[in-house]
Amino acid sequence: MDCHEFCDKHLAFVDDTLAGIELVRMQRHIAECDSCAKHDAKIRRALLLFRNLPSIELSADFSQRLEVRLRECHTEQLASTQRNLRFGAFAATLASLVMVGYIATTLYDHANGPRDVLMPPVVATVPESEFTPITTSAPAIVASVSAGLTIWPAALFAEQVPVTFAHSKLELANYTR
Amino acid sequence: MADIVRKQIVAVEGLTVRERLQAMDDSAVVTAFLGGEERAFSELVTRYQTRLLNFVYRTIGDREKAEDLVQEVFIRVYRHLHRFDRSKKFSTWVYTIASNLAKNELRNRSRNPLVLFQTVQKNFQDEDRPLQFEDTTSRPDDMYRKRHLREIVEESVAKLPEHHRNVFILRELEGKSYEEIAEITECNLGTVKSRLNRARNSFAEIIAPYVD
Repeated sequence: MDCHEFCDKHLAFVDDTLAGIELVRMQRHIAECDSCAKHDAKIRRALLLFRNLPSIELSADFSQRLEVRLRECHTEQLASTQRNLRFGAFAATLASLVMVGYIATTLYDHANGPRDVLMPPVVATVPESEFTPITTSAPAIVASVSAGLTIWPAALFAEQVPVTFAHSKLELANYTR
Repeated sequence: MADIVRKQIVAVEGLTVRERLQAMDDSAVVTAFLGGEERAFSELVTRYQTRLLNFVYRTIGDREKAEDLVQEVFIRVYRHLHRFDRSKKFSTWVYTIASNLAKNELRNRSRNPLVLFQTVQKNFQDEDRPLQFEDTTSRPDDMYRKRHLREIVEESVAKLPEHHRNVFILRELEGKSYEEIAEITECNLGTVKSRLNRARNSFAEIIAPYVD
């Protein structure tokens, strides 16, 4: 055992919590090493002094003062309990009054019998259509298409454009993934 | 066999309530108090008052304040005993309260230098008071040596850092186990061992010149 290990285990050595074999090793080290033996003696002597310090006694009026404070504390606790009980009783009374009122109102309504529900007259209106009907193009516009197509296929093609773009973007995304 | 049991019951019945409480362990006394036996609290006070006073006094170094703090500990115990987890040790709980109060006191002192000054001044005035532990039959020079030594030891303890001192007192004066100290100081076991080792070494270093 070296001095470093001795210092590491010194706490347990002084408290007598080391295993038997370790204890023997520590004792052997003390017998061999003057410096560690001095360190051990110094610690043990200091602890002996501290452990033998005389006990401090309570002053004569300690118990009396404590009793007074405990009595105050007890009274305070009782008052607090009573206050809580009073509040609880008040809350319970209030809740029961509300409940009785509600039951009385319900019973009164029930005793008067069911009445027909009168609803205000409803005026129904036809909702306006969001899409305006496509009117047939004037013959002049049809004539302006150079490819000789009528405006109808062109209009349908134009409707499909956003869908086509969306598809192409989706495909691109798939490729890049 | 039945006779022996009957005799034991008679013996227990013959005891006063106070004697019965004295025979109980802490946990049973706590249960008795929570069951409505007010005298059980006096039993707890009797068991712990001197131990707590010594612990707090050694931690903060002011006797009067230590008494006030011990009173505060008992008031807190009285108020909150119904919340105490009875699966744990009562003594650990009480020492935790005392330790926290002592720590708060030291913290307040460090924030308020005036209080520190007043404490020091009060301690000087205390010098005139005769010490209770001294044997009046012993020789004056022995009495002087004892008083001087006591002062040196107390001063040396006071020089330890607060968290080292706390662990040191709990172990060396109160004889608490490492586990209990860990619970009281809310540290892990390794920290407790390390602090205790350092506290022992520092204390021995401080006091060595006076005792060699």
